[in-house]
Amino acid sequence: MNGQTHPETVDWPNRYYHIDQILDRPGPRTDSEFMAGDAVKDFLRNDCKILCIGAGGLGCEILANLALSGFKDVHVIDMDTIDISNLNRQFLFRPADVGRPKAIVAAEYVMKRVPGVKVTPYFGKIQDKDESYYMQFNIIICGLDSVEARRWINATLYQMADAENPESIKPLIDGGTEGFKGQARVIIPDVTSCYECSLDMLNKPVTFPICTIANTPRLPEHCIEWASVLEWPRIHKDKKLDTDNPDHIGWLYNIASARAKEFSIEGVTWSLTQGVVKNIIPAIASTNAIVAASCCNEAFKIATTSAPYLDNYFMVIGTDGVYSYTFEYERRPDCPVCGGESRNVDVNREWTLERFIESLTERQDFQIKKPSLSTSTPTVAGKTRLYFQAPPQFELETRPNLEKKLVDLVSEGGEISVTSTSLPFNLTLRIHYV
Amino acid sequence: MSPNQSQDSQDIETATTAILPSPLWAASGQAALESSRILVISASATSTSILKNLVLPGIGHFTILDPQVASHEDIGNNFFLEGLDSLGKPRAEEAVRLLCELNDSVEGKANLSSLEEVLEKDPTYLTSFTLIIAHNLKLPLLTKLSTFLWSKKHGPSLMIVRSAGFLAEFFIQFHEHTVVDSHSETAPSLRIDKPFKALHDHAVSINFDSLDDMEHGHVPYVVILVQAMENWKAKHGGPPQAYAEKQEFKKSVEAMRRKIDEENFDEAFAQAYRAWTPTTVPSDIAALFNDDALQQPLTSLPTHSAIFFHLVAALKKFTSESPYTLPLSSTLPDMKADTNSYIHLQTLYKQQAEVEKARFKSLIGPELVIDDDTIDEFVRNVHGLRLLRGKPFGAFDRDQAALVAALSATPKEVATHLALSALSVVLAQGSSKDVTAVRLRSEVNAITGPFEWPEDAELNLGNALGELARAPTAELPNTAALLGGLVAQEAIKIITRQYVPVKGYCVIDLIGSWTGTIDG
Repeated sequence: MNGQTHPETVDWPNRYYHIDQILDRPGPRTDSEFMAGDAVKDFLRNDCKILCIGAGGLGCEILANLALSGFKDVHVIDMDTIDISNLNRQFLFRPADVGRPKAIVAAEYVMKRVPGVKVTPYFGKIQDKDESYYMQFNIIICGLDSVEARRWINATLYQMADAENPESIKPLIDGGTEGFKGQARVIIPDVTSCYECSLDMLNKPVTFPICTIANTPRLPEHCIEWASVLEWPRIHKDKKLDTDNPDHIGWLYNIASARAKEFSIEGVTWSLTQGVVKNIIPAIASTNAIVAASCCNEAFKIATTSAPYLDNYFMVIGTDGVYSYTFEYERRPDCPVCGGESRNVDVNREWTLERFIESLTERQDFQIKKPSLSTSTPTVAGKTRLYFQAPPQFELETRPNLEKKLVDLVSEGGEISVTSTSLPFNLTLRIHYV
Repeated sequence: MSPNQSQDSQDIETATTAILPSPLWAASGQAALESSRILVISASATSTSILKNLVLPGIGHFTILDPQVASHEDIGNNFFLEGLDSLGKPRAEEAVRLLCELNDSVEGKANLSSLEEVLEKDPTYLTSFTLIIAHNLKLPLLTKLSTFLWSKKHGPSLMIVRSAGFLAEFFIQFHEHTVVDSHSETAPSLRIDKPFKALHDHAVSINFDSLDDMEHGHVPYVVILVQAMENWKAKHGGPPQAYAEKQEFKKSVEAMRRKIDEENFDEAFAQAYRAWTPTTVPSDIAALFNDDALQQPLTSLPTHSAIFFHLVAALKKFTSESPYTLPLSSTLPDMKADTNSYIHLQTLYKQQAEVEKARFKSLIGPELVIDDDTIDEFVRNVHGLRLLRGKPFGAFDRDQAALVAALSATPKEVATHLALSALSVVLAQGSSKDVTAVRLRSEVNAITGPFEWPEDAELNLGNALGELARAPTAELPNTAALLGGLVAQEAIKIITRQYVPVKGYCVIDLIGSWTGTIDG
């Protein structure tokens, strides 16, 4: 490589022979706003700024696709470093890169392979950045395996959206995979449904009751859970279990094997141990490729207007043939992020505030930990704080409420505002007693 | 330390140096991948995308057959070429070098001959591969290749991939494809309706009244249902038939409950239908018994399909004996129980499964020697067996009845497929400059013959033709990457003989963001 990255020298003749067939003329389904030719090419290659969140299985694919598609100002955020187990699908990484930040290695690799593309990495959390950072992008693609991070970026982009200012509406393209299953979706703030609307569609992670794990184990999984949930904290006290650490997995495997032997249970293996504690279905290169390509294809169509974009959900399952389904996921009027209406919640008249809080943490459509609650209409005692997790003086002050019945604190039809550090927005609930 | 443990701890050590196999297709699937040899014709962006997703999980060997040198166009859209550094170099060699960097356990080779040469001078070279993948091959050459491979009944499967702009399709040519481990999500029968003797004896021996509360709440639901059904049959002479009787039976199960919070009784109540639903041979498995392959003398060649039919023949005999079911599965799903009752029940199922497997083995004909692992795998997955019979490439386009039927079932898929077929014809006759929507339309007419298109299909066809005329030779990076994922995934299914590959055409439209299949 000659090291020159100036666009004129880098864009050799016919570099974009393939893509330009699409950009030089409209097709039958192209919107009339499409500006075929130089205008669209100039925007794509010189103006458009795109962010890829995640540089893992999906992120590696996304970065390569974006670079080849002609996006030249690409940013990438990832907080992880490269693990040996990533190499069978995260194709921008080599054994020598193990331990280095994914975002930095991926950016270097793509820039070297696709000359003239600038990839700016950020090794850290998406929450480190504020609205002014996200405001600079035209499109954001998310290739993450974390529900929490997706909720955060989804809520952040909705908070930024100002109907008066079209520039503030940032299309979010979200991809996800699990084994042979994958999905890609396009989220346009204030236009489509959002990530939060579909939260209850996620599969509930498999959990085993503690009493089964402790007293009546039957499956190898029960023995592994015993090792990780009960034995690890008992033996290692405050040391955190790192599911990427082979020594930790090895310890769990040995403990689980011994317990399985004691109960004549067969089937505890190292890979099952890893699978259970990581609570994930392993990702494979092919599904990642399908989903990442689908996300980048939508980004390309949105950036260029060369063809209509996905409205708004594509899912694919590859176990029995290729089955896919494209549909419009509808907005949820009581979505706490995009809906505007408060969520109706039925509450047992007998429930204490503590029982009510517990019920909130169990709900798949909320997914909250340690919520703090206040009421918009002052309670009977004239206070708005129902229960606060922090600071300590508020916690102390509100703790006695936990034992009170909710019906004595909030009237029928009253609203409760829920906040939590795991929740990037305020959740408003309207209470109905049953 | 048991042998199992030492094996596993060895895995942990090697894990730091080697790439771990995916647990999604188990060690047997990984072994099949590692011994596979793949030939990919052309080093296009689509081809290298497909290969990337095969090299990462660890195929044994691949060859790229391509005589061309990398052009300005190629280096602009292929991630496995190094920009201007690769310009003018053989693109097969460049791509092989860069693909091999992904996984040093994979062997890659560049063959700079042309396919014409190979077909002329040494066509048997082609049959040395497990699987052949061809992307955007010129039609006359593709026809030659597919005809040659179809003539070899046990030759490699051929995956034909075509793409232009946002539209694409692929077709897998095979005579037949048999799958033992389809990873079916259907649970095998627990035979609660016709319990084997040990299960029956165990279930009726339980005296619920003598159990303490803890024990009572931990009797597995299978045991509850077997006993409840035995009691019902003793009273009524047979299982419940009418809806009202079934409700009555459920009430009798509920009546055995001691406390409101006994989860094992919740399960028994919810699963009660299993007690009266007769366990029979599933219809798709029964259909295998009538397959043509079983009507002929079984071959003694140890091919996958010969072994498959050999075992199916034994299965047919097995199911014609009492209890007229598939061999029992040794896998017992989890259910509310204490450790001892669960392990005891699991042991009963395992022992009976062993007995039935032994009976099954005794029914296998002498023509072929089949190893125990293969038989074990067959019995373990017997409820999900699959047989796919394929057609030669192009047969669908020549079969007007099939076209008409498919067009009404899957209009946009068939319209897009025919548009791509027409594009192949036009590009074979001239250059991309000759491609217009009108020209393509007349080629579609030539394929289908006189034919009245339904309105919606006509609209789909117009869209597809217009899109192909817009970008007849465009290999978009995203289309290539998506095909890379889909085609590699199907290749893995073909090679591992696990999961179920596409039969017919898989059509992709990245404007509408949909995929669909045509059973053609």
